[in-house]
Amino acid sequence: MNHSYASLNRREALYGLGAGLGTVALNSMLKAVEAGATTGVAHHPAKAKRCIFLMMEGGPSHIDTFDPKPDLTKHHLKKFKRSGDMESAMSSGDRYFVKSPFDFIKAGRSGADISTEWHYLKEMVDDMCFYRGAQVDSVNHPTACYQLNTGNRFGGDPGIGAWVNYGLGTLNENLPGFVVLPRTSYPQGGAANWSNGFLPANFQGTPLRPTGSPILDLNPPQGVTRERQRKNLDLMSTLNKEHLGHRPERGELEARMNSYELAYRMQMEVPGILDFAGERKSTLEAYGIGDAKTEAFGRKCLLARRLVEQGVRFVQAYAGNWDSHDYIERAHGSLIRSVDKPIAALLGDLKERGMLDDTLVVWCGEFGRTADNGMRGGSTSYGRDHNPKAMTMWFAGGGTKAGHTIGATDEIGAEAVECVHHIRDVHVTLLHLLGLDDNKHTYYHAGRHKQLSQFGGQVISELLA
Amino acid sequence: MSLTSGLWAGEVTEGEKLFALKVKPLFAEKCHACHGDDPDKIKGDFNMLTRGALFKGGDSFAEEVVILGKGEESFLYLVTTRKEKDFEMPPKEADRLTEEEQGWIRDWIDHGAPWPDDKRIALIEEKYAEGEVVATSQALSADWQNRRYETTQLWAYRPLNAPDVPAGKNPIDWFIDKKLAEAGLEAAPDAEARHLIRRMSFNVTGLPPTPDRVKSFASAYAKHPGDAVKALADELMATPQYGEQFARHWLDVVRYADSAGFANDYTRPNAWRYRDYVVRAFNDDKPYNQFIREQIAGDEIDPADSEMLIATGFLRMGPWEQTGMSVFKETRQLWLDDVTDSVGQTFLAHAMQCAKCHDHKFDPVPTRDYYRMMAVFSTTQFSEREAPFLEEENRTGFAQSEEWVKAKIAGYQDQHARLLAKVKAQKTQESGEAKVGNNGLDPGDEASMSRLSKNLSRHKWELDRTRPIAFSVYTGNTIPVKSVSKRILLPNQPWGKGTMEQDRILAGGSAYSPTDPVTPGALSAAQSLGRMETHDFPAGRGSRRLALAEWISDRENPLTARVMVNRVWAWNFGKGIAGNPNNFGGTGAVPTHPELLDYLARWFMDNGWSVKKLNQLIASSELYRRSSRHPHPSQVRERDAKGRLYATLMPRRLTAEELRDAILWSSGELNLQVGGIPARPDINTEVALQPRQIMGGTASVYEPDTKPEHRNRRSLYAEKVRGLRDPFLETFNQPGPDKSCELRETSTVAPQSLTLFNTEEMQERSVAFAARLLAAGLNDLKTIDKAFELALGRMPSSSERSTCLKHWQAATQEEQGKIYKPKEFINWTERTVMAEKTGEPYSFIEFMPAFRNYEPDTQMADVDARTRGLSQVCLVLFNLNEFSYLD
Repeated sequence: MNHSYASLNRREALYGLGAGLGTVALNSMLKAVEAGATTGVAHHPAKAKRCIFLMMEGGPSHIDTFDPKPDLTKHHLKKFKRSGDMESAMSSGDRYFVKSPFDFIKAGRSGADISTEWHYLKEMVDDMCFYRGAQVDSVNHPTACYQLNTGNRFGGDPGIGAWVNYGLGTLNENLPGFVVLPRTSYPQGGAANWSNGFLPANFQGTPLRPTGSPILDLNPPQGVTRERQRKNLDLMSTLNKEHLGHRPERGELEARMNSYELAYRMQMEVPGILDFAGERKSTLEAYGIGDAKTEAFGRKCLLARRLVEQGVRFVQAYAGNWDSHDYIERAHGSLIRSVDKPIAALLGDLKERGMLDDTLVVWCGEFGRTADNGMRGGSTSYGRDHNPKAMTMWFAGGGTKAGHTIGATDEIGAEAVECVHHIRDVHVTLLHLLGLDDNKHTYYHAGRHKQLSQFGGQVISELLA
Repeated sequence: MSLTSGLWAGEVTEGEKLFALKVKPLFAEKCHACHGDDPDKIKGDFNMLTRGALFKGGDSFAEEVVILGKGEESFLYLVTTRKEKDFEMPPKEADRLTEEEQGWIRDWIDHGAPWPDDKRIALIEEKYAEGEVVATSQALSADWQNRRYETTQLWAYRPLNAPDVPAGKNPIDWFIDKKLAEAGLEAAPDAEARHLIRRMSFNVTGLPPTPDRVKSFASAYAKHPGDAVKALADELMATPQYGEQFARHWLDVVRYADSAGFANDYTRPNAWRYRDYVVRAFNDDKPYNQFIREQIAGDEIDPADSEMLIATGFLRMGPWEQTGMSVFKETRQLWLDDVTDSVGQTFLAHAMQCAKCHDHKFDPVPTRDYYRMMAVFSTTQFSEREAPFLEEENRTGFAQSEEWVKAKIAGYQDQHARLLAKVKAQKTQESGEAKVGNNGLDPGDEASMSRLSKNLSRHKWELDRTRPIAFSVYTGNTIPVKSVSKRILLPNQPWGKGTMEQDRILAGGSAYSPTDPVTPGALSAAQSLGRMETHDFPAGRGSRRLALAEWISDRENPLTARVMVNRVWAWNFGKGIAGNPNNFGGTGAVPTHPELLDYLARWFMDNGWSVKKLNQLIASSELYRRSSRHPHPSQVRERDAKGRLYATLMPRRLTAEELRDAILWSSGELNLQVGGIPARPDINTEVALQPRQIMGGTASVYEPDTKPEHRNRRSLYAEKVRGLRDPFLETFNQPGPDKSCELRETSTVAPQSLTLFNTEEMQERSVAFAARLLAAGLNDLKTIDKAFELALGRMPSSSERSTCLKHWQAATQEEQGKIYKPKEFINWTERTVMAEKTGEPYSFIEFMPAFRNYEPDTQMADVDARTRGLSQVCLVLFNLNEFSYLD
């Protein structure tokens, strides 16, 4: 809650007001103040102006995607003993090592490690920066998802997209600045993963739903025409003006009236963005739209490109569920096939349009996976458990170091050992790439200046171009 | 004090004073963490521990760090101004130095940057230091222990200090008017009767007044405003809706929910009894000191009394779960942290979490206090305890609830049995090395097995909803559990199995880093500055929580009464006397009227800690009936720019719950039954059917209650599932139940308009309102009048009347001849989600027994064109600013 400011800088003052005004008023106000500036109020010049965050929910296995562990072949099916803090969480019954079912190659000029399942993405590795040093605190999905998305394991804090928009503002008055493309099934922890937390509500992630009404209640119930709506709005406006006339000093009343007009306009705008009719056939094909295997994520990737083109600052697209405790060959195999082509197309498309330089693309899950597995269903089924100590994430564009692999994990992929950073440093780095300084990008709430990294962190300079 | 001539040789210079009193403590607080504390990790090779080291500079600056006599040019000063790009120090915006603090460094350098030794510093401190040292339990660092606080920051810990109020004066007006007079600002006049009764009615009960009461109040108010307001306040407080409204405020603070959150988001089937306990407490005007004791230590007071067991549900309100994937030691610690912080915020307005890893940065709360308070709870254990229903508890709807839960279980069991048979028949031994799921099974079936058994667990637990069980605690040893998916029984021997936890300070807040032992206790600063008598806190098997409850509810505790009267004030006026009801520390807003706050706190305790009496006192003031509009707004802006003086009262928007309830009230559909098991209202269908993942599968689909009267209950009673929020309430700023909410936010965003203008629920409410109006059999003009009276508490103006009438007629015209098909309700749904084992989608059917005999609300198809036409006017009325905003 934001009842008292210790000190008000200009941005805070504006957004503080924004809490009571709604996006249009806020953005026009920002524009007036910035005198034509279109990039909001970044702390330092930055390459990345926007971000597409590909959230691989469930925890993809680094060992079976981008971080090969040939040693596991030697240990395959040998007994494994877990010790230390994680003991009680995943140590029931017998455990054994599991080798990756996939082959790996060194791809591109950079020779990046990649499993051969990635038929399309392997062509793009020279544009990507792989990072193997990140660690998180939680071994459970919802807490790990919250931590990845909001910095706080226990939920209730603003999502990264909310922080970015709070810092930079949106570029399109008629669209939300933070759009989420969830799967049909919401992740563990639900919509709190894209919450505005304690930031004003206009920074909340707006989910564009894959089925049904893209934005909840975007359209009136069946049988209500647009003309009928317009007439109702007009009656409302007449009566509201009478009421407002007696209370001219109450700005929030007028802001509320404007928000109805914005909602009315959104009814027109949003369907246009969702309509792919204007896209070339080859583009649709490239994203895998039209093929049942890739359709769902292909649509999300294409939509992400269209949204950032329209000025949306932060798009987060969900794919999954990567929680492959069993049958990793089959499960990870089909998941990779469902995202491989769309992601490669997205990177290629952004590049072709000259947008990859100033668009930061992030790919990661909430944690990585273990080198071992327990007995499942009384038999050995080759899968992997959750691993907060090691994971692979990758970045493309937006000022990241293309064609490099940064950091390393130990010989079985159990723990990061090189360029090791807590996830908070990844958050600080993301903000840095977008021109925001985590230590300055704070919001006074409940007696403390809160920040995405929670308590501050450092930029992982190795990731920067 | 003895001053040896050697040490005191020479007068103390300004520079020395600056260093000893300001600059040195500033270095310690803001700089040494990176530049001195850890000799192995000196950032930028710049060490600030000694004058010599500091003057040497570091990697980035050399002698230009300090240019003696030239503060303005010295980098040590410049970096603190944050104008040196990439060298803003300290790096965190949150730590930035104020201009005053920057000035100390500059001036110190101007004075030659003297650096007296420790002994001389001690003497300078003794002689010149301002501010106060606060006696606390022991700090982690000596510097912190001796640190000085600005006197104004310590207001909340001091004994109450309330001056007398002249006889015959209303104390509230006495204090408020004094400040207004000082500012030369005149108070706004009394509010208009219809605005005032609407505001009072919502404030006290969360509902609008009836048109008849508006009229009778107006005539009484015209004669004797004070008497009329007092009578109305008493009348409203005598309704059960008063307890509901005040309970909602309290439940915001304690984060009430009917589910546990996180991966499984299991139901908390008995939490509702705590919600009703809070409603009862306000309606029965339970003395607040007793309310405190029961919630913290009811089970230790009288475990045979159901009420006492139910009350302790407070301790378990935060999100918490233990699954096979979590480490018990960590989840146990998570709860200990949660309850320590929650008790601190709720009763003492202290966010204790700030002292978890280090001594508090701003307040006199050492880390030791945090762990002393945590030690109070280290013998507190969870249990769903037998607690016979009280006569006051509402047990209606038990049969329907049980019927529905059993139908859910039967449905899942049936599916499960059929699936099991299929799986048994189909399952084959996996072959060969490459075990990739060639076991003959359809992966969707495998996923469904796990999904069904998870949902069975949830609903079986839900059978407890109607059983005489309290969501409660007991005192005993800690027994680690692997996972919790059903009620936790009370062990026969609370001190038998398990171990007694060691109470220790945890370094960095980590459960794996125990350090110094501690004994149970509370806030030592409140004790010392508040001049409280020492309380004994038992350790071992003693009643630790009861001791804490006694300490908190001690009349001499400087925080407790202040915190509660400030909350009650905020619930009446929309803002606290102290601006942050959850934070009375140095970072919270200081009280605008400290004498008034203290007077009310003393008065509150002298009047039996009675919240109703406090409300009556507030209602007896002239302030309470003040208008929200001032005849000279520019005068207010000029003389009270920050709006602190109460020349007018704050207008406000209805909260999410008030808005929904008021709509149902106007449409005539609101069921005012008090208490009972959670209601399941209709929520947006797409959200209801939206699959959401839980551990091991997909959560069972949301189903509304079968009958309208169950669905259309007050929003307070709507089932609160952490992982599935009602989009209507969420959109209108209902806070999430994971963090304590001291006061509601009010933001205006486009989705609110979509919700209020486009949802089926709003269409249904509008149709029901129209049908209700027409059922009265009035002529058209009188029907419009009635609509305004019910929705807005007033008659329309003649132009409003004719505009609305025209709108109605035109809409009716449009509706003529339109055919609406009655909505069909299907008792199953097909959902498609991803199978974890294969990463491929699969579909399944889920049965929704609630729709077997679902009784819909009034729909478009049920009514004629004239009613549908009028419903368009009704929809507009619900959407008006005037409907949502109180003057």
